[in-house]
Amino acid sequence: MNSPKKKEGQMKKKDMPDTQCSRRSFLKTTSIAAAAGSASLVTGCIPGKNSGSSEEFKLKWEEYFKEHYRLMTQEEKDATISRLVRLAKLQRGLDLQMSSRPAREQVLYGYAFNISRCEGYMDCVKACVKENNLDRKSKTQYIRIFEMEPGQLDPSTGDAKYFHEVPVDNKFYMGVQCFQCENAPCVKACPTKATWREPDGIVVVDYDWCIGCRYCMAACPYWGRRFNWGKPEIPDEEVTTKQHYLGNRIRPMGKVEKCTFCVQRTREGKLPACAEACPTGSRVFGNLLDPDSEIRYVLKHKKVFRMKEELGTDPKFWYFID
Amino acid sequence: MKEIIHGSILRSLVLGAVLLTSHLALASDKSVLDRIKAANEPFDTMKIDSTHPLSMKTVRSNDSYQGGTFKVLTRKDSIERFRCSGCHKDKKVQVRDGVSFTHGDIVINHGSEGTSLSCSDCHNEKERDFLVGKKGQKIDFDHSYQLCGKCHFRQKSDWVGGAHGKRVKYWAGERVVYNCATCHNPHSPRFKKRMPATFSRPLDE
Repeated sequence: MNSPKKKEGQMKKKDMPDTQCSRRSFLKTTSIAAAAGSASLVTGCIPGKNSGSSEEFKLKWEEYFKEHYRLMTQEEKDATISRLVRLAKLQRGLDLQMSSRPAREQVLYGYAFNISRCEGYMDCVKACVKENNLDRKSKTQYIRIFEMEPGQLDPSTGDAKYFHEVPVDNKFYMGVQCFQCENAPCVKACPTKATWREPDGIVVVDYDWCIGCRYCMAACPYWGRRFNWGKPEIPDEEVTTKQHYLGNRIRPMGKVEKCTFCVQRTREGKLPACAEACPTGSRVFGNLLDPDSEIRYVLKHKKVFRMKEELGTDPKFWYFID
Repeated sequence: MKEIIHGSILRSLVLGAVLLTSHLALASDKSVLDRIKAANEPFDTMKIDSTHPLSMKTVRSNDSYQGGTFKVLTRKDSIERFRCSGCHKDKKVQVRDGVSFTHGDIVINHGSEGTSLSCSDCHNEKERDFLVGKKGQKIDFDHSYQLCGKCHFRQKSDWVGGAHGKRVKYWAGERVVYNCATCHNPHSPRFKKRMPATFSRPLDE
Protein backbone atom coordinates (compact mmCIF):
# COMPACT_ATOMS: atom_id res chain seq x y z
CA MET A 1 0.00 0.00 0.00
CA ASN A 2 2.83 2.34 0.81
CA SER A 3 4.91 1.67 -2.24
CA PRO A 4 3.10 3.88 -4.78
CA LYS A 5 3.17 6.79 -2.35
CA LYS A 6 6.85 6.29 -1.86
CA LYS A 7 7.34 6.14 -5.57
CA GLU A 8 5.43 9.35 -6.02
CA GLY A 9 7.49 11.02 -3.35
CA GLN A 10 10.69 9.86 -4.91
CA MET A 11 9.59 10.99 -8.29
CA LYS A 12 8.73 14.40 -6.98
CA LYS A 13 12.03 14.69 -5.26
CA LYS A 14 13.77 13.75 -8.44
CA ASP A 15 11.79 16.17 -10.50
CA MET A 16 11.77 19.00 -8.07
CA PRO A 17 14.99 20.86 -8.78
CA ASP A 18 14.10 21.56 -12.39
CA THR A 19 10.46 22.48 -11.99
CA GLN A 20 10.96 24.46 -8.82
CA CYS A 21 13.73 26.49 -10.30
CA SER A 22 11.85 27.49 -13.36
CA ARG A 23 8.68 28.13 -11.41
CA ARG A 24 10.48 30.30 -8.90
CA SER A 25 12.33 32.29 -11.48
CA PHE A 26 9.15 32.70 -13.48
CA LEU A 27 7.25 33.96 -10.43
CA LYS A 28 10.11 36.23 -9.49
CA THR A 29 10.29 37.94 -12.84
CA THR A 30 6.53 38.34 -13.14
CA SER A 31 6.11 39.63 -9.60
CA ILE A 32 8.92 42.13 -10.00
CA ALA A 33 7.42 43.31 -13.24
CA ALA A 34 3.98 43.52 -11.67
CA ALA A 35 5.31 45.37 -8.63
CA ALA A 36 7.17 47.78 -10.82
CA GLY A 37 4.16 48.30 -13.05
CA SER A 38 1.71 48.89 -10.25
CA ALA A 39 4.18 51.05 -8.37
CA SER A 40 4.69 53.32 -11.34
CA LEU A 41 0.96 53.51 -11.92
CA VAL A 42 -0.21 54.01 -8.37
CA THR A 43 2.48 55.87 -6.48
CA GLY A 44 4.84 57.01 -9.16
CA CYS A 45 7.72 55.49 -7.23
CA ILE A 46 9.27 54.03 -10.32
CA PRO A 47 9.33 56.69 -12.94
CA GLY A 48 9.03 56.19 -16.65
CA LYS A 49 12.15 56.38 -18.71
CA ASN A 50 11.54 59.96 -19.73
CA SER A 51 11.27 61.38 -16.20
CA GLY A 52 14.58 62.29 -14.59
CA SER A 53 18.06 61.22 -15.57
CA SER A 54 18.94 57.60 -16.12
CA GLU A 55 21.08 57.75 -12.98
CA GLU A 56 18.11 58.90 -10.93
CA PHE A 57 16.02 56.12 -12.46
CA LYS A 58 18.63 53.52 -11.57
CA LEU A 59 18.96 54.78 -7.99
CA LYS A 60 15.21 54.84 -7.45
CA TRP A 61 14.94 51.36 -8.88
CA GLU A 62 17.60 50.03 -6.51
CA GLU A 63 15.98 51.85 -3.59
CA TYR A 64 12.65 50.25 -4.35
CA PHE A 65 13.97 46.73 -3.94
CA LYS A 66 16.13 47.21 -0.89
CA GLU A 67 16.03 45.10 2.27
CA HIS A 68 14.41 45.87 5.64
CA TYR A 69 16.83 48.03 7.64
CA ARG A 70 17.33 45.47 10.38
CA LEU A 71 18.21 42.78 7.87
CA MET A 72 20.73 44.91 6.01
CA THR A 73 24.44 44.36 6.40
CA GLN A 74 26.54 47.43 7.09
CA GLU A 75 27.55 47.51 3.41
CA GLU A 76 23.91 47.52 2.37
CA LYS A 77 23.17 50.30 4.85
CA ASP A 78 26.05 52.33 3.47
CA ALA A 79 24.82 51.67 -0.06
CA THR A 80 21.26 52.80 0.57
CA ILE A 81 22.52 55.89 2.40
CA SER A 82 24.80 56.83 -0.48
CA ARG A 83 21.86 56.32 -2.85
CA LEU A 84 19.61 58.57 -0.75
CA VAL A 85 22.33 61.22 -0.48
CA ARG A 86 22.91 61.11 -4.24
CA LEU A 87 19.16 61.28 -4.95
CA ALA A 88 18.82 64.36 -2.73
CA LYS A 89 21.66 65.95 -4.68
CA LEU A 90 20.13 65.06 -8.05
CA GLN A 91 16.58 66.04 -7.18
CA ARG A 92 17.02 69.09 -4.98
CA GLY A 93 20.70 69.96 -5.04
CA LEU A 94 21.00 69.25 -1.31
CA ASP A 95 24.27 68.17 0.30
CA LEU A 96 23.19 65.72 2.98
CA GLN A 97 25.26 64.01 5.64
CA MET A 98 23.32 60.90 6.53
CA SER A 99 24.31 58.51 9.29
CA SER A 100 23.40 54.98 10.26
CA ARG A 101 25.14 55.10 13.63
CA PRO A 102 23.90 52.20 15.77
CA ALA A 103 22.90 52.44 19.41
CA ARG A 104 25.67 53.07 21.95
CA GLU A 105 26.38 50.37 24.46
CA GLN A 106 25.20 50.79 28.04
CA VAL A 107 22.89 53.64 27.04
CA LEU A 108 19.14 53.81 27.58
CA TYR A 109 17.68 57.20 26.85
CA GLY A 110 15.20 58.76 29.23
CA TYR A 111 13.39 62.06 29.43
CA ALA A 112 11.84 64.09 32.20
CA PHE A 113 9.52 67.07 31.84
CA ASN A 114 9.08 69.62 34.61
CA ILE A 115 5.42 70.62 34.64
CA SER A 116 6.02 73.29 37.26
CA ARG A 117 8.65 75.06 35.14
CA CYS A 118 7.26 74.93 31.59
CA GLU A 119 5.80 78.31 30.63
CA GLY A 120 4.29 77.28 27.29
CA TYR A 121 6.64 79.31 25.06
CA MET A 122 6.74 76.46 22.49
CA ASP A 123 10.34 77.07 21.47
CA CYS A 124 10.71 73.28 21.67
CA VAL A 125 8.01 72.73 19.04
CA LYS A 126 9.64 75.19 16.67
CA ALA A 127 13.07 73.65 17.13
CA CYS A 128 11.66 70.15 16.61
CA VAL A 129 9.97 71.08 13.33
CA LYS A 130 13.22 72.55 12.02
CA GLU A 131 15.48 69.75 13.25
CA ASN A 132 13.33 66.86 12.10
CA ASN A 133 12.42 68.21 8.66
CA LEU A 134 8.69 68.15 9.36
CA ASP A 135 6.22 69.04 6.65
CA ARG A 136 5.57 72.78 6.77
CA LYS A 137 2.42 72.63 4.68
CA SER A 138 0.38 70.44 7.01
CA LYS A 139 2.13 71.97 10.04
CA THR A 140 3.09 68.54 11.33
CA GLN A 141 4.46 68.65 14.88
CA TYR A 142 5.75 65.83 17.06
CA ILE A 143 5.38 67.80 20.29
CA ARG A 144 2.14 69.11 21.69
CA ILE A 145 2.02 71.56 24.59
CA PHE A 146 -1.25 71.55 26.50
CA GLU A 147 -2.40 74.49 28.57
CA MET A 148 -3.89 72.89 31.64
CA GLU A 149 -6.18 73.84 34.47
CA PRO A 150 -4.63 73.38 37.93
CA GLY A 151 -5.28 69.97 39.39
CA GLN A 152 -5.79 68.27 36.03
CA LEU A 153 -3.19 65.80 34.84
CA ASP A 154 -4.94 64.37 31.77
CA PRO A 155 -3.87 66.29 28.65
CA SER A 156 -7.23 65.61 26.97
CA THR A 157 -8.69 68.18 29.38
CA GLY A 158 -6.12 70.76 28.27
CA ASP A 159 -5.98 73.21 25.39
CA ALA A 160 -3.35 72.48 22.74
CA LYS A 161 -4.47 75.22 20.35
CA TYR A 162 -3.68 78.24 22.50
CA PHE A 163 -2.06 81.23 20.89
CA HIS A 164 -1.88 84.10 23.33
CA GLU A 165 0.65 85.56 25.73
CA VAL A 166 2.05 82.89 28.02
CA PRO A 167 2.28 81.96 30.82
CA VAL A 168 -1.32 82.61 31.83
CA ASP A 169 -1.77 82.97 35.58
CA ASN A 170 -3.07 79.91 37.35
CA LYS A 171 -2.50 77.54 34.39
CA PHE A 172 0.28 75.06 33.82
CA TYR A 173 1.77 73.57 30.70
CA MET A 174 2.35 69.94 29.82
CA GLY A 175 4.29 68.67 26.83
CA VAL A 176 3.36 65.40 25.13
CA GLN A 177 5.40 63.59 22.51
CA CYS A 178 6.42 59.98 21.79
CA PHE A 179 7.35 58.42 25.14
CA GLN A 180 9.54 55.69 23.58
CA CYS A 181 7.73 52.97 25.54
CA GLU A 182 9.79 49.98 26.55
CA ASN A 183 6.71 47.80 25.99
CA ALA A 184 5.43 49.75 23.01
CA PRO A 185 1.94 48.94 21.69
CA CYS A 186 2.75 50.52 18.32
CA VAL A 187 5.55 48.01 17.76
CA LYS A 188 3.19 45.11 18.40
CA ALA A 189 0.53 46.55 16.10
CA CYS A 190 2.75 46.95 13.04
CA PRO A 191 1.93 44.25 10.46
CA THR A 192 5.16 44.72 8.48
CA LYS A 193 7.57 45.02 11.42
CA ALA A 194 8.49 48.44 10.10
CA THR A 195 8.74 49.87 13.61
CA TRP A 196 10.79 48.52 16.49
CA ARG A 197 12.64 49.44 19.66
CA GLU A 198 16.36 49.98 19.32
CA PRO A 199 18.78 48.73 22.01
CA ASP A 200 19.12 52.29 23.38
CA GLY A 201 15.36 52.38 23.89
CA ILE A 202 14.34 54.59 20.96
CA VAL A 203 11.33 53.39 18.98
CA VAL A 204 12.13 53.94 15.31
CA VAL A 205 10.43 53.44 11.96
CA ASP A 206 11.90 52.09 8.74
CA TYR A 207 10.15 54.66 6.57
CA ASP A 208 10.65 52.54 3.49
CA TRP A 209 8.97 49.49 5.00
CA CYS A 210 6.04 51.33 6.52
CA ILE A 211 2.96 50.69 4.41
CA GLY A 212 1.01 53.55 5.96
CA CYS A 213 -1.76 51.41 7.46
CA ARG A 214 -1.70 53.54 10.65
CA TYR A 215 -2.43 50.59 12.96
CA CYS A 216 0.37 51.95 15.16
CA MET A 217 -1.39 55.29 15.45
CA ALA A 218 -4.52 53.53 16.63
CA ALA A 219 -2.50 51.45 19.08
CA CYS A 220 -0.65 54.39 20.63
CA PRO A 221 -2.41 55.67 23.77
CA TYR A 222 -0.38 58.90 23.76
CA TRP A 223 -1.04 60.41 20.30
CA GLY A 224 2.67 59.96 19.63
CA ARG A 225 2.61 59.28 15.88
CA ARG A 226 1.90 61.38 12.82
CA PHE A 227 0.88 60.43 9.30
CA ASN A 228 2.29 61.96 6.16
CA TRP A 229 -0.75 62.74 4.02
CA GLY A 230 1.22 64.56 1.38
CA LYS A 231 4.71 64.91 0.05
CA PRO A 232 6.56 66.84 2.79
CA GLU A 233 7.23 70.43 1.81
CA ILE A 234 10.33 72.03 3.29
CA PRO A 235 12.12 75.02 1.77
CA ASP A 236 15.61 73.99 0.58
CA GLU A 237 17.36 76.49 2.83
CA GLU A 238 15.52 75.17 5.91
CA VAL A 239 16.33 71.49 5.43
CA THR A 240 18.44 70.05 8.25
CA THR A 241 21.17 68.27 6.31
CA LYS A 242 22.67 66.30 9.20
CA GLN A 243 20.36 63.31 9.10
CA HIS A 244 19.97 59.77 10.35
CA TYR A 245 18.39 56.96 8.33
CA LEU A 246 16.01 56.18 11.21
CA GLY A 247 15.59 59.78 12.26
CA ASN A 248 15.07 63.07 10.51
CA ARG A 249 15.60 62.11 6.87
CA ILE A 250 12.81 63.53 4.74
CA ARG A 251 10.06 60.91 4.86
CA PRO A 252 8.25 59.79 1.73
CA MET A 253 4.52 60.44 1.38
CA GLY A 254 2.05 58.10 3.08
CA LYS A 255 4.25 57.01 5.99
CA VAL A 256 3.83 57.19 9.73
CA GLU A 257 6.53 59.19 11.44
CA LYS A 258 7.37 60.05 15.01
CA CYS A 259 9.71 61.60 17.54
CA THR A 260 12.93 59.62 17.87
CA PHE A 261 14.44 61.71 20.71
CA CYS A 262 16.38 63.21 17.76
CA VAL A 263 18.33 59.99 17.16
CA GLN A 264 20.61 61.88 14.76
CA ARG A 265 21.68 64.13 17.63
CA THR A 266 21.47 61.95 20.72
CA ARG A 267 23.65 59.18 19.32
CA GLU A 268 26.29 61.86 18.74
CA GLY A 269 26.11 62.89 22.40
CA LYS A 270 23.94 65.97 21.80
CA LEU A 271 20.70 66.83 23.54
CA PRO A 272 17.49 66.49 21.53
CA ALA A 273 16.55 69.71 19.74
CA CYS A 274 13.58 70.32 22.09
CA ALA A 275 15.74 70.05 25.19
CA GLU A 276 18.37 72.35 23.73
CA ALA A 277 15.78 74.93 22.70
CA CYS A 278 13.85 75.00 25.98
CA PRO A 279 14.34 78.45 27.56
CA THR A 280 13.10 77.35 30.99
CA GLY A 281 15.09 74.17 31.59
CA SER A 282 11.93 72.11 31.89
CA ARG A 283 13.34 69.33 29.73
CA VAL A 284 15.86 66.92 31.24
CA PHE A 285 17.43 64.28 29.05
CA GLY A 286 20.05 61.65 29.70
CA ASN A 287 21.21 58.10 30.11
CA LEU A 288 19.01 56.08 32.45
CA LEU A 289 21.78 53.52 32.95
CA ASP A 290 24.19 56.16 34.30
CA PRO A 291 23.57 56.65 38.04
CA ASP A 292 25.29 60.06 37.85
CA SER A 293 23.13 61.45 35.06
CA GLU A 294 20.67 64.33 35.47
CA ILE A 295 17.71 62.14 34.56
CA ARG A 296 18.61 59.70 37.33
CA TYR A 297 18.87 62.62 39.77
CA VAL A 298 15.34 63.67 38.84
CA LEU A 299 13.98 60.14 39.24
CA LYS A 300 15.64 59.81 42.62
CA HIS A 301 14.92 63.21 44.17
CA LYS A 302 11.72 64.50 42.58
CA LYS A 303 8.07 63.58 42.60
CA VAL A 304 7.69 61.88 39.25
CA PHE A 305 4.88 60.16 37.37
CA ARG A 306 4.35 58.67 33.94
CA MET A 307 1.26 59.14 31.84
CA LYS A 308 -1.21 56.25 31.86
CA GLU A 309 1.28 54.07 33.70
CA GLU A 310 -1.49 51.56 34.40
CA LEU A 311 -1.49 50.50 30.74
CA GLY A 312 1.85 48.79 31.22
CA THR A 313 3.46 50.47 28.23
CA ASP A 314 6.47 51.34 30.39
CA PRO A 315 7.27 54.73 28.85
CA LYS A 316 10.72 56.31 29.26
CA PHE A 317 9.26 59.78 29.77
CA TRP A 318 8.49 61.12 33.22
CA TYR A 319 6.75 64.25 34.41
CA PHE A 320 8.01 65.88 37.57
CA ILE A 321 7.25 68.77 39.87
CA ASP A 322 9.69 70.90 41.80
CA MET B 1 -10.79 5.46 24.50
CA LYS B 2 -12.24 8.19 26.73
CA GLU B 3 -9.15 8.16 28.87
CA ILE B 4 -6.97 8.63 25.86
CA ILE B 5 -8.99 11.63 24.75
CA HIS B 6 -8.88 13.08 28.23
CA GLY B 7 -5.18 12.48 28.35
CA SER B 8 -4.60 14.24 25.05
CA ILE B 9 -6.75 17.20 26.14
CA LEU B 10 -4.80 17.39 29.38
CA ARG B 11 -1.53 17.23 27.49
CA SER B 12 -2.55 19.98 25.11
CA LEU B 13 -3.72 22.10 28.04
CA VAL B 14 -0.39 21.70 29.81
CA LEU B 15 1.47 22.45 26.59
CA GLY B 16 -0.72 25.51 26.04
CA ALA B 17 -0.08 26.75 29.54
CA VAL B 18 3.65 26.32 29.11
CA LEU B 19 3.59 28.14 25.81
CA LEU B 20 1.49 30.95 27.27
CA THR B 21 3.73 31.46 30.28
CA SER B 22 6.83 31.38 28.15
CA HIS B 23 5.22 34.03 25.96
CA LEU B 24 4.44 36.13 29.03
CA ALA B 25 7.96 35.73 30.27
CA LEU B 26 9.19 37.04 26.94
CA ALA B 27 6.77 39.96 26.95
CA SER B 28 7.63 41.13 30.45
CA ASP B 29 11.36 40.90 29.66
CA LYS B 30 12.64 43.57 32.06
CA SER B 31 10.89 46.82 32.87
CA VAL B 32 12.64 50.16 32.65
CA LEU B 33 12.55 50.54 36.41
CA ASP B 34 14.22 47.14 36.87
CA ARG B 35 16.91 48.10 34.41
CA ILE B 36 17.45 51.42 36.17
CA LYS B 37 17.68 49.72 39.55
CA ALA B 38 20.23 47.27 38.21
CA ALA B 39 22.42 49.99 36.68
CA ASN B 40 24.70 51.26 39.41
CA GLU B 41 27.99 51.34 37.58
CA PRO B 42 28.94 54.91 36.57
CA PHE B 43 28.88 55.38 32.81
CA ASP B 44 31.91 57.12 31.35
CA THR B 45 30.29 59.79 29.19
CA MET B 46 33.72 60.88 28.01
CA LYS B 47 33.86 57.79 25.83
CA ILE B 48 31.20 59.28 23.57
CA ASP B 49 33.81 60.60 21.18
CA SER B 50 31.54 62.72 19.00
CA THR B 51 31.27 65.62 21.44
CA HIS B 52 33.28 68.72 20.65
CA PRO B 53 34.56 71.56 22.84
CA LEU B 54 32.04 74.38 23.20
CA SER B 55 32.66 77.77 21.67
CA MET B 56 31.47 79.52 24.83
CA LYS B 57 33.83 80.37 27.70
CA THR B 58 33.47 78.13 30.72
CA VAL B 59 34.85 77.97 34.23
CA ARG B 60 35.09 75.05 36.63
CA SER B 61 32.44 75.25 39.31
CA ASN B 62 33.34 75.34 42.99
CA ASP B 63 30.60 72.80 43.62
CA SER B 64 30.56 69.21 42.51
CA TYR B 65 27.64 67.03 41.50
CA GLN B 66 27.07 63.27 41.88
CA GLY B 67 29.41 62.64 38.93
CA GLY B 68 32.32 64.82 40.11
CA THR B 69 33.23 68.38 39.16
CA PHE B 70 31.55 70.27 36.35
CA LYS B 71 31.81 73.51 34.44
CA VAL B 72 29.54 76.52 34.16
CA LEU B 73 29.31 79.17 31.47
CA THR B 74 31.16 82.32 32.47
CA ARG B 75 29.30 85.48 33.33
CA LYS B 76 31.87 88.26 33.27
CA ASP B 77 32.23 88.16 29.47
CA SER B 78 28.59 88.97 28.98
CA ILE B 79 28.45 91.90 31.39
CA GLU B 80 28.83 94.90 29.13
CA ARG B 81 30.61 97.30 31.46
CA PHE B 82 32.76 94.86 33.39
CA ARG B 83 35.16 95.63 35.13
CA CYS B 84 33.06 97.76 37.44
CA SER B 85 36.12 99.25 39.09
CA GLY B 86 36.86 101.00 35.79
CA CYS B 87 34.36 103.66 36.87
CA HIS B 88 33.80 102.86 40.55
CA LYS B 89 36.99 104.37 41.92
CA ASP B 90 38.13 107.83 42.94
CA LYS B 91 37.69 109.01 39.38
CA LYS B 92 35.90 112.31 38.99
CA VAL B 93 32.73 112.09 36.90
CA GLN B 94 31.25 114.93 34.90
CA VAL B 95 27.60 115.74 35.46
CA ARG B 96 26.69 115.32 31.79
CA ASP B 97 27.81 111.69 31.93
CA GLY B 98 25.66 111.07 34.98
CA VAL B 99 22.75 109.56 33.04
CA SER B 100 24.79 106.65 31.72
CA PHE B 101 26.66 106.19 34.99
CA THR B 102 23.73 105.83 37.36
CA HIS B 103 22.51 102.53 35.88
CA GLY B 104 19.11 104.14 35.34
CA ASP B 105 18.22 101.39 32.87
CA ILE B 106 18.20 98.70 35.55
CA VAL B 107 14.81 97.89 37.04
CA ILE B 108 14.94 95.81 40.18
CA ASN B 109 12.07 93.37 40.43
CA HIS B 110 13.65 90.77 42.67
CA GLY B 111 12.31 89.68 46.01
CA SER B 112 8.74 89.85 47.22
CA GLU B 113 6.99 93.14 47.95
CA GLY B 114 8.25 94.89 51.02
CA THR B 115 11.45 92.86 51.11
CA SER B 116 12.61 93.89 47.64
CA LEU B 117 16.34 93.72 47.17
CA SER B 118 18.60 96.72 46.72
CA CYS B 119 21.96 96.96 44.90
CA SER B 120 24.13 96.40 47.95
CA ASP B 121 22.32 93.20 48.92
CA CYS B 122 24.26 91.46 46.15
CA HIS B 123 26.97 93.86 44.98
CA ASN B 124 30.10 94.32 47.01
CA GLU B 125 30.40 97.96 48.06
CA LYS B 126 34.10 97.82 48.88
CA GLU B 127 35.42 95.65 46.10
CA ARG B 128 33.34 96.69 43.16
CA ASP B 129 34.38 93.82 40.86
CA PHE B 130 32.76 91.25 43.12
CA LEU B 131 29.43 90.27 44.55
CA VAL B 132 28.89 89.94 48.27
CA GLY B 133 27.42 87.11 50.35
CA LYS B 134 25.25 87.54 53.44
CA LYS B 135 28.26 87.37 55.74
CA GLY B 136 30.36 89.72 53.65
CA GLN B 137 32.19 87.08 51.60
CA LYS B 138 33.59 88.11 48.24
CA ILE B 139 31.89 86.18 45.39
CA ASP B 140 33.19 86.17 41.84
CA PHE B 141 30.70 87.09 39.11
CA ASP B 142 31.47 83.81 37.31
CA HIS B 143 30.40 81.93 40.42
CA SER B 144 27.27 83.97 41.04
CA TYR B 145 25.35 80.70 41.66
CA GLN B 146 26.96 80.73 45.10
CA LEU B 147 25.21 84.00 45.84
CA CYS B 148 21.86 82.96 44.34
CA GLY B 149 22.01 79.75 46.36
CA LYS B 150 22.10 81.74 49.61
CA CYS B 151 18.35 82.34 49.29
CA HIS B 152 17.35 79.88 46.57
CA PHE B 153 19.06 76.92 48.19
CA ARG B 154 16.47 74.44 46.91
CA GLN B 155 16.91 75.54 43.33
CA LYS B 156 20.65 75.54 43.90
CA SER B 157 20.77 71.90 44.98
CA ASP B 158 18.48 70.95 42.09
CA TRP B 159 20.74 72.88 39.73
CA VAL B 160 23.82 71.08 40.99
CA GLY B 161 22.09 67.71 40.67
CA GLY B 162 20.48 68.40 37.31
CA ALA B 163 16.76 68.97 37.97
CA HIS B 164 16.95 72.76 37.57
CA GLY B 165 18.65 74.57 34.72
CA LYS B 166 20.20 72.62 31.89
CA ARG B 167 23.32 71.32 30.27
CA VAL B 168 24.78 73.10 27.29
CA LYS B 169 24.27 71.28 24.00
CA TYR B 170 25.45 67.78 25.06
CA TRP B 171 24.14 65.08 27.38
CA ALA B 172 27.51 63.33 27.10
CA GLY B 173 31.07 64.50 27.48
CA GLU B 174 32.21 66.83 30.23
CA ARG B 175 29.26 68.37 32.05
CA VAL B 176 28.81 72.05 31.23
CA VAL B 177 25.73 73.82 32.58
CA TYR B 178 24.19 77.23 32.21
CA ASN B 179 24.89 79.75 34.94
CA CYS B 180 21.87 81.10 36.86
CA ALA B 181 22.20 84.46 35.16
CA THR B 182 22.40 82.95 31.67
CA CYS B 183 18.64 82.41 31.82
CA HIS B 184 17.47 84.68 34.65
CA ASN B 185 18.07 88.41 34.57
CA PRO B 186 19.43 88.82 38.11
CA HIS B 187 17.67 92.16 38.55
CA SER B 188 14.33 90.81 37.36
CA PRO B 189 14.60 87.05 37.50
CA ARG B 190 11.07 85.94 36.60
CA PHE B 191 10.59 85.04 32.93
CA LYS B 192 8.58 87.58 31.00
CA LYS B 193 5.21 86.92 29.41
CA ARG B 194 5.41 86.64 25.66
CA MET B 195 3.75 85.07 22.64
CA PRO B 196 4.57 81.40 21.98
CA ALA B 197 7.14 80.71 19.25
CA THR B 198 4.58 78.85 17.14
CA PHE B 199 1.11 77.30 17.37
CA SER B 200 -0.48 73.89 16.83
CA ARG B 201 -3.29 72.85 14.57
CA PRO B 202 -6.12 70.92 16.24
CA LEU B 203 -5.53 67.17 16.17
CA ASP B 204 -8.98 66.33 14.80
CA GLU B 205 -8.87 68.77 11.89
